[in-house]
Amino acid sequence: MKHRISFLLLTGIFLLCAGCAAYGAVQEEPASLQFFSMDTVMTVNAYGPSGEDGVQAARDAVNRLDGLLSRTDPDSQISQLNAHAGDGTAVPVDPDTAELLSFAQSVSQLLPGDFDVTIAPVMDAWGFTTEARHVPSAEELSAALALVDGSQLEVDADNATARLLQSGMEVDLGAVAKGFAAGKAEEALREAGVERATIDLGGNVTVIGTRPDGNPWRVAVKDPQNTESYLCVLELEDVTLSTSGGYERYFEEDGVRYHHIIDPKTGYPADSGLQSVTVVTANHVLADALSTALFVAGEEEAIDFWRGREDIELVLCTDDNRVVVTEGLEEVFQLYDPDGGYTYEIARR
Amino acid sequence: MRSPAADRRRPTLWDGLLALLVAAAAVALLFFLRPAESNFLTASVVLEGETIAQYDLSALTGPVAVTVDQADYPLTIQLEPGRVRIAESACPGLDCVHTGWISLAGQQIICLPNRLVISLTGASDPDFDAVTG
Repeated sequence: MKHRISFLLLTGIFLLCAGCAAYGAVQEEPASLQFFSMDTVMTVNAYGPSGEDGVQAARDAVNRLDGLLSRTDPDSQISQLNAHAGDGTAVPVDPDTAELLSFAQSVSQLLPGDFDVTIAPVMDAWGFTTEARHVPSAEELSAALALVDGSQLEVDADNATARLLQSGMEVDLGAVAKGFAAGKAEEALREAGVERATIDLGGNVTVIGTRPDGNPWRVAVKDPQNTESYLCVLELEDVTLSTSGGYERYFEEDGVRYHHIIDPKTGYPADSGLQSVTVVTANHVLADALSTALFVAGEEEAIDFWRGREDIELVLCTDDNRVVVTEGLEEVFQLYDPDGGYTYEIARR
Repeated sequence: MRSPAADRRRPTLWDGLLALLVAAAAVALLFFLRPAESNFLTASVVLEGETIAQYDLSALTGPVAVTVDQADYPLTIQLEPGRVRIAESACPGLDCVHTGWISLAGQQIICLPNRLVISLTGASDPDFDAVTG
């Protein structure tokens, strides 16, 4: 009798535990925060008891950088830097601003001609900054292009100052700011005690740790041609994914589509045979910068660049609907819809 | 007097059956407590951080057009059974219109100049955690 009672007791406990486990799985919702910053929509999801504090800290970290780096905010340090272009003033900047400017210069050196943070006058000529988008005249474009020269940006990281040497030059950190912010947001989350989170800064996605069930995060890559589907899904932990594509922001004039990723060599929207580039790496800001630079560079140069490095992986979607995946992602890549009109191939070293 | 069951050292067939029953009950419990799946698809319209409207797209029987006049740049949202898009907008870039239709839970349409977000929730959850692009 005693044994039977013990057995029934154990049964009860077992059922209770099973019930609790199932209930817990249903209830495990992250702390979630959506906000506008850096001219885009951002969403931070953080799991665990520190989640709420973590998402608030992440938002504060991003907003702080937005205040420093925005080109449309006249009080920002970048606006100050631009306002003093050509007058000889070494503008004092926050160490974070100096670090990001130096990093941007290093990317220009890694991929000469494909990336330049002094592209701002050309962006303005196309109206991508003011939203009055139009095709600029040849004279307008040529004048703007003459002001694009990253070597005319001087950054003194030790003294935290920066200077633009030529009057009319302007810096726009739009191609690196979100990646830099992602790094700071992750720092803020980890300092708050968060170990599992996703940070989505306008499509620039950082995944921290694993999903609550211990499996890798599943991140979908947008289909550049179809908003009702996706290109692929990647299963990853502790990386940032940044995607650049001509489909994100564009306008049409006389039946021709013009997108916002400008080739610094021509001043025209990049026409490199790619629809989108996704860069996967543990280096947040590198992911951001390279997705833009490699979109401009094109498939061949992008794959050559990847072969020279160990710290990045790529998903390229070409104009002829091939999805080129670098071999480091082979095991974690899955085409979203095998009948979606894309074929895929693995690039090997 | 001790019961015959107490004298037995080895589990009997009945013990095994009981164990099976317990396991079956636990599995049944997990099944009944799993997240409820439904066919509902809800479009939430958030303007300046405030939810201004929600529409059950699965309950629609035909197309519906909704104008958001209180936005800085007025726009028209077009709703159809199972999908939604921004059909027209007075915003300068028209990126929101270019996004086209969305129909899957987890998808969003964003109009930055208006600080407006349309999000789809419900139905079967997306089988991923985030979207890059």
